[in-house]
Amino acid sequence: MSEPRYRRHADIRLTSLEGEGVVLHLKERRYFSVNETGLVLLEALKQPRSFGDLVAELLREYEVTEETAAATTREFLDQCLASAVVETME
Amino acid sequence: MTAIPGISSNDPAFEAAVTEWLIESRMPLPAGLLLRLEVVDTVSQLDDPREVFLQGDVEIRAGEPLGWVHISWRTAPARARIEEHRPEAVLQVSREALGELDYLLRSFLLVSLIFLWKRDGRYHVHAGTAIDSRGRGWMLIGNSRSGKSTTTALLASRGWRVSTDDIAFLEARDDRVDVLGFRSPIALRPGGFQLLGRAGGIAMESRAKTGFWPEELGSSWIQTVVPEIIVFTSVAGDRTTMSPASPAAVMRELMQWSLWVMFEPTAAQEHLDLLARLGRQARCYHATLAPDLFAAPRALEDFLP
Repeated sequence: MSEPRYRRHADIRLTSLEGEGVVLHLKERRYFSVNETGLVLLEALKQPRSFGDLVAELLREYEVTEETAAATTREFLDQCLASAVVETME
Repeated sequence: MTAIPGISSNDPAFEAAVTEWLIESRMPLPAGLLLRLEVVDTVSQLDDPREVFLQGDVEIRAGEPLGWVHISWRTAPARARIEEHRPEAVLQVSREALGELDYLLRSFLLVSLIFLWKRDGRYHVHAGTAIDSRGRGWMLIGNSRSGKSTTTALLASRGWRVSTDDIAFLEARDDRVDVLGFRSPIALRPGGFQLLGRAGGIAMESRAKTGFWPEELGSSWIQTVVPEIIVFTSVAGDRTTMSPASPAAVMRELMQWSLWVMFEPTAAQEHLDLLARLGRQARCYHATLAPDLFAAPRALEDFLP
């Protein structure tokens, strides 16, 4: 079975100011900020990405271990899936 | 009567009032504007399952699944339908609503126009704007009791050029953000009027305010300000203070006071990017404003950290 792929929900708009990401959820009319790592992941999720793609993205951007990158990605992805910021592609 | 191309009505007096108000505002109207003002005995009802957002006494329904924006007024029957991507709208206004003409223009019609301007790349923000003696653009952002108008009147009386005390529109210009002011009298509550200590002004009885044109305060009106300094204002205590705002706080404040960004997909990304660009363009501060501001020789400039 192939690895699931994820992408940003169509109702999400994203911008940044001095490393702070601002996420606007149009459908729910709310906004919140994300840190630089979250911004990198959400930028990548503009296109469909697997979990492995996202971990690789963090490894490219930061000098961290694969274990740390995977844990950060899992935590952020779970939060985004729970709040409908990211969806799993069918 | 001077007519504005694109605006039509079955009621010449109402059309004349709207035309006069828009000309006085000096705001450039959206390219391709089509605004039909229908005065009717009965405002027709529209089925609209979308969640209502209330701004003052204006109800707004926007976004999916219908696309177009539906605005209605709680004071008296009036409603607007604004097309999804085009600066086109039909407003139905009851005769009862015309009995509250000043308020109708300032609330229901202004909100309708905010959505029309948005379709032309101009995004409303609750802000006052002015230019100091060194030519620097300032933007004061906050709610209706945060001292914007009183401070704008003070700045005008000190010779700053003033654009608006509350109704501003962001516009992308090359790589910067310009802010256009909607020209109207600076409207002071009794407390602000007393602090300013000026006689005269226009009695705005329905709003319990006194209005001053910038020229009456020794200033001049300017349409466009390029903000270099943004101040998020509130009123508290006896001493004016100003402190730097973090990037996260800047975005939170800008979103809060330009909240139309959240209503519909139309131009949302452009609007959001413009807010971020404005945050990058200016130095941003939180300020608590107090009566000692009136004793400071250079007004706000004296409190910059």
